[in-house]
Amino acid sequence: MRARLIASFIVVALLAALASAWVVTLIVPFYPSLGNLVRPALISHLLGSYVPGTGRHRGGPGVPARATAAVFVLAAAGLLLATITGLAFAAARRVLGPVRRLADAARQMSGGDLSVRVEPAGRDELAHLVTAFNTMASALQGKVGELEQMETRARQFAGDVSHELRTPLTAMTAVADILGDGTAADADATAAARLVGQEIRHLNRLVGDLIEISRFDAGSAQLTADDTDVATAVQQCLRARNWAGVCCTVPAGLTVRLDRRRFDVILANLVGNALRHGAPPVTVRASTQTGRAGGSELVLEVRDHGPGLPADAIGHVFDRFYKADSARARSEGSGLGLAIAQENARLHGGRIDAANDPEGGAVFTVRLPVP
Amino acid sequence: MSTVLLVEDDPAARQGLELALSRLGYGVRAAATGEAALDGLGQGPVDVVVLDLMLPGVDGFEVCRRLRRVSNVPVIMLTARGDDFDIVAGLEAGADDYVVKPAEPRVLDARIRAVLRRLARAGSPAETWGELVIDRESLIVLRAGQPVPLTPTELRLLLVLSGSSRQVFSREQLLDLVWEHGYLGDSRLVDACVQRLRAKIETDTSEPRYIQTVRGFGYRFGPV
Repeated sequence: MRARLIASFIVVALLAALASAWVVTLIVPFYPSLGNLVRPALISHLLGSYVPGTGRHRGGPGVPARATAAVFVLAAAGLLLATITGLAFAAARRVLGPVRRLADAARQMSGGDLSVRVEPAGRDELAHLVTAFNTMASALQGKVGELEQMETRARQFAGDVSHELRTPLTAMTAVADILGDGTAADADATAAARLVGQEIRHLNRLVGDLIEISRFDAGSAQLTADDTDVATAVQQCLRARNWAGVCCTVPAGLTVRLDRRRFDVILANLVGNALRHGAPPVTVRASTQTGRAGGSELVLEVRDHGPGLPADAIGHVFDRFYKADSARARSEGSGLGLAIAQENARLHGGRIDAANDPEGGAVFTVRLPVP
Repeated sequence: MSTVLLVEDDPAARQGLELALSRLGYGVRAAATGEAALDGLGQGPVDVVVLDLMLPGVDGFEVCRRLRRVSNVPVIMLTARGDDFDIVAGLEAGADDYVVKPAEPRVLDARIRAVLRRLARAGSPAETWGELVIDRESLIVLRAGQPVPLTPTELRLLLVLSGSSRQVFSREQLLDLVWEHGYLGDSRLVDACVQRLRAKIETDTSEPRYIQTVRGFGYRFGPV
């Protein structure tokens, strides 16, 4: 590339010299005064006004001796060539320098170092190329970082799932022999059977929740939205689970397009948590407000009057298998309830926020956009 | 005592379900493949078929289709796929209801009893609605003089709707009255069944005359 650049530079310069010499010979006869311009005094003096055939110099322009002329031409040509080549090299370096730096940077990146960047110089196309390269490098670095995070989370999840599945299996494995034995005392067999039944229910819930969560992860969860009267939906949710002591403040006639089943899942989880880990009275309040983006949204608040959430738990409460109270290793739920509730809210285009009420107790706020 | 024909290929699941169903008071005839099930039909009266979908050889849908060609016995499909279960395909194959595995015996029992109730006869004279003649006693529906083959569920849906013609029923109400699913049953069942029914009794399904949609509310029979 560089050789080509230099060669073409030299060719162009020589052609220019040739062309100007030709132009001069054409013009000078018409403008003799120009001849003085073209043949500067110094050179004439140097060349001497050597008159061929007389062997003598004379002042003023004349025809130089052949040898002198040859020397002159060679010297001039040499000087010209040197200048041209020098300029060619400089130009090449100006263009090829950044290109080489970019090539080096690309090689470094493919070697694994995604943090490499190149300094752009000037404002021409080469500088644009360098800037574009830097932008691409940043984007790549971000994407790779994201993927690495996702992989870590997935591994963590798989580890957690195995642990969660093993827990009910432990109890059942312990008593499997008792049940299969046939010789166990009635009381033992009954106790073992009851334990197994309980663990089976736990396992069923866990597996169901895992399937639900994996659907969200695979992106195959779908929304079946229908016009829903919020007050009725809330009442039905509470009545179906026999939660009589929950106070509801839901305006009548509030109709929102919701996936009824998913709304039920969200509300049931939040109220269940409030009753289990918080303390009564548990209140459910619904209203419509203007959202951050300007449109209106359904705001559902589930409050309890218990101890509230520990400060370090608030940011993690929607994480999968997160247990705020690590001492409470066995929970009634699967550990995925809030994670699923959050995914359900997200599927609607909304979200759930957890906070502590200044007057004590935890408050979970569900915001769902009203289209 | 009602007899259940259980079609389930996994031996452990088959054994478990057989045990559970017989303790619930049903007579159980078990088959491990679709072919065995279809043969088993001829071996004695069957009141309801509980049909697993993942079968070796002929799959559950095909078994249901072949079953429907020779019998109007109620069919409950057992599927491991909850949300993904293709309800339309299931109803099209002729099923009456579906249960997601693992099924608690309580739930299975409730569904079986509900499905058996579909065939309850109510003595009342035949009613004529336009081209339709609905006989609640013999459970026969004629359209332009020709008997219309309906599954027990389609029949029940028609009877419920036509029994209170002009009344609008919501999907939840129909789910409760026809399928007896509890709270939050799958309302897609209702839509799919209405579509099947319309295909069988309407002259022009794009302008239904008998089963009309009332937007935002549900379905209504007539006015014809």
